[in-house]
Amino acid sequence: MGIRIALAGNPNCGKTTLFNALTGSNQFVGNWPGVTVEYKEGKYKGDKEVKIVDLPGIYSLSPYTLEEVVSRNYLIDEKPEAIINVIDGTNLERNLYLTTQIVELGIPVVIAINMMDVVEKNGDKINTKKLSEEIGVPVIEISALKNRGLKDIVDAAVKAAKEALPQSPKHRFDGSVEHALAHIEELCLHNVEDENVQRWYSIKLFERDEKIQEKLGLSEETVNHIEKDIASCEKELDDDAESIITGERYNYIGTIIDGCVKKAKKGLTTSDKIDRIVTNRFLALPIFAVVMFLVYFVSVTTVGSWATDWANDGVFGDGWHLFAIGSADYNDAVDKYNEADLIIVGYDLYCEGNGEGPTGDFKYPVEDEETAAVEYRTATHEDYVEAMEYINSHEVPEPEDYGVWIPGIPVFVESGLDAIKCNDAVKGLILDGIVAGVGAVLGFVPQILVLFIFLAFLEACGYMARVAFIMDRIFRKFGLSGKSFIPMLIGTGCGIPGIMASRTIENDRDRKMTIMTTTFIPCGAKLPFIAMVAGAIFGGAAWVAPSAYFLGIFAIITSGIMLKKTKIFAGDPAPFVMELPAYHWPTLSNVLRSMWERGWSFIKKAGTIILLSTIVVWFTTFFGFTPDGFRMLEEEEIGMSILASIGKGLSWIFIPLGFGDWEATVASITGLVAKENIVGTLAIIYGAAGDVYETMRAAFTDASGFAFLAFNLLCAPCFAAMGAIKREMNNTKWFWRAIGYQCGFAWVIGLIIYQVGKLFTGEGFTVGTVFGIAAIACLLYGLFRKDKYAN
Amino acid sequence: MGTFIVVLILAAIVAAIVYSIVKARKRGEHPACGGDCDHCGGGCH
Repeated sequence: MGIRIALAGNPNCGKTTLFNALTGSNQFVGNWPGVTVEYKEGKYKGDKEVKIVDLPGIYSLSPYTLEEVVSRNYLIDEKPEAIINVIDGTNLERNLYLTTQIVELGIPVVIAINMMDVVEKNGDKINTKKLSEEIGVPVIEISALKNRGLKDIVDAAVKAAKEALPQSPKHRFDGSVEHALAHIEELCLHNVEDENVQRWYSIKLFERDEKIQEKLGLSEETVNHIEKDIASCEKELDDDAESIITGERYNYIGTIIDGCVKKAKKGLTTSDKIDRIVTNRFLALPIFAVVMFLVYFVSVTTVGSWATDWANDGVFGDGWHLFAIGSADYNDAVDKYNEADLIIVGYDLYCEGNGEGPTGDFKYPVEDEETAAVEYRTATHEDYVEAMEYINSHEVPEPEDYGVWIPGIPVFVESGLDAIKCNDAVKGLILDGIVAGVGAVLGFVPQILVLFIFLAFLEACGYMARVAFIMDRIFRKFGLSGKSFIPMLIGTGCGIPGIMASRTIENDRDRKMTIMTTTFIPCGAKLPFIAMVAGAIFGGAAWVAPSAYFLGIFAIITSGIMLKKTKIFAGDPAPFVMELPAYHWPTLSNVLRSMWERGWSFIKKAGTIILLSTIVVWFTTFFGFTPDGFRMLEEEEIGMSILASIGKGLSWIFIPLGFGDWEATVASITGLVAKENIVGTLAIIYGAAGDVYETMRAAFTDASGFAFLAFNLLCAPCFAAMGAIKREMNNTKWFWRAIGYQCGFAWVIGLIIYQVGKLFTGEGFTVGTVFGIAAIACLLYGLFRKDKYAN
Repeated sequence: MGTFIVVLILAAIVAAIVYSIVKARKRGEHPACGGDCDHCGGGCH
């Protein structure tokens, strides 16, 4: 039979990092509490007979939080052969509090003092030999991040498991407590099968742990009897039972620390110095805003954009020059040829308008590729002559003539389908449906990966933990808990685990509210849509992508304030205890692994759900009922398609938001299958009318474009995330409340953006503007009305 | 003939995708995030 070794320790002490290092797993490592809310199992790389179990981080074995219940139940009921108690070496005192309880369970324990590299760097000294003697268990120094001491710790745990010597705690409480504990053991624990765990049970009963009373099936009479012992002890020590136990444990830990730890520095550490600025009352928020702006700006507008342009225009477009050799010359040649062509067009237009050629200067139109703005330039008659000579003496530039040209996937697929004389309908399905739809989504992979690298770095270095702390300070002012921000941090990758992470919030009302608002934060799947809107409608403006993130935060805070003033969500926020880890440089492998895990799930989804969706979208776009019956449609006929009929039936909902056409409507609907589908659907529908970005730019104004973006960011998430909401709410009524609120809130925000935005984009004051202003007034009322449920 | 082969390949791809999604669901994995729902710690992404 194999050996099971449980990893137990405080939140954020490095258990999951150790688990990954020991098992070769890729479990997500977070720099905040609550990342592991269920235990995970894996086989030790060095011996497949040894099973490692990663337990949620806990501060004690009391049943106050979900993590504590999960960890304690595993240790008590599953009884692993050994426990590795992972301790953060930089914070020994607090971590040992759990240790004092773990050694009472009667299971062989080995202590792993983690982060020893940081301890040594700080100049601190831990006398592990003495510590081992004091606690009575082996103590090993490790660094999970640097792979130090890992074999030693597993070897020690396996040895302890094989020897199976019952752990007996060295610590003894005050005489009157020990007396009460002995009474309790004698009264009701002599029947407990494992006598090694009797002491732990007696302490828990002394602390009036109801779950243990229930587990042991104690009669009311026995409970009353125990109560007398506890009350007598409380009277003698003039404190309540739980405080007596806690106080005595800390006194004991204090004596251990005095004898085993030597701190080198008394001054501020580098982390403390950074925190004085980063978590400063006034600077924290502006710094956070700048950091997130830069993250989204770089991901979507600069580095990510260059890579995505290559993916969209090259891999999923016409093609690209190998190593970009020849690209510049080719682009120069194209520019020259186009300029000459445009001068000739301008000349011809002049001739058409005036009936004769210009004698002097004339204007010719030049359209900006990004913004579609038309600029008129001046040319002379000599320019026209030169242009004619250039056009007559040059062929249209071909990319193959300027370097090694690699055709894009659509070109490659099309030539293959032409070669086998494939039917036009099937060819259309593959090229205009699957390749265009999936390609449009996959084209954004570089931007997604760049964003995920940044997020992984911010999480791993410790900054995101500070953000939770900063947000707690702000949330608390509005009656919310910082605990609600953790699911939102996780939700930047995918909303589903974000929603599930809300389980750690004990207060049911706060938990429900967090579930309702978590998906307001843009997840990875929404990024392609954000980038598409930014590129197509706003000419790649740098502010669009960061604004989507800040819109999410705004939606969460305003929703929190408004909902907290309602009867069903009223109440004080739950306390939020969180340890801020020291800043450190994350390892490259950890950052890349985190990026790849998130990115890979995006790619996988494009190859499965998105691909299936594009087939459905293509079919419903290019087939429809015409006066001559149901048939395949030409590109200019897609207004009669099945999808158009559906869209037209629902588009009235979005008319007040400025995008009441069937194309935007169906994109919003298909986005419910998966948010990437918005991009895939628009690529298929607008692609039928020509260039996707140009058609999209023509279909939206700035105000309606941003309203379209806002609505789709804030409305109900994808079906998968809705399923998670349903599971976590565990109540149909609450599920529909959540979806209804999200859609309603998104609609109102979209209405305000479009109707009021029109005032600033020169579209004038209309009746709709009145409704937009009225919606702002309602929002302000919801925010500032008196909270009659406040204590 | 070429069209027939392409349709056949497409049908096979669609069938494989549907099969993989159904199989993943039966394993308790989520089709969207690929995570193990039964033991999801909320940290797969």
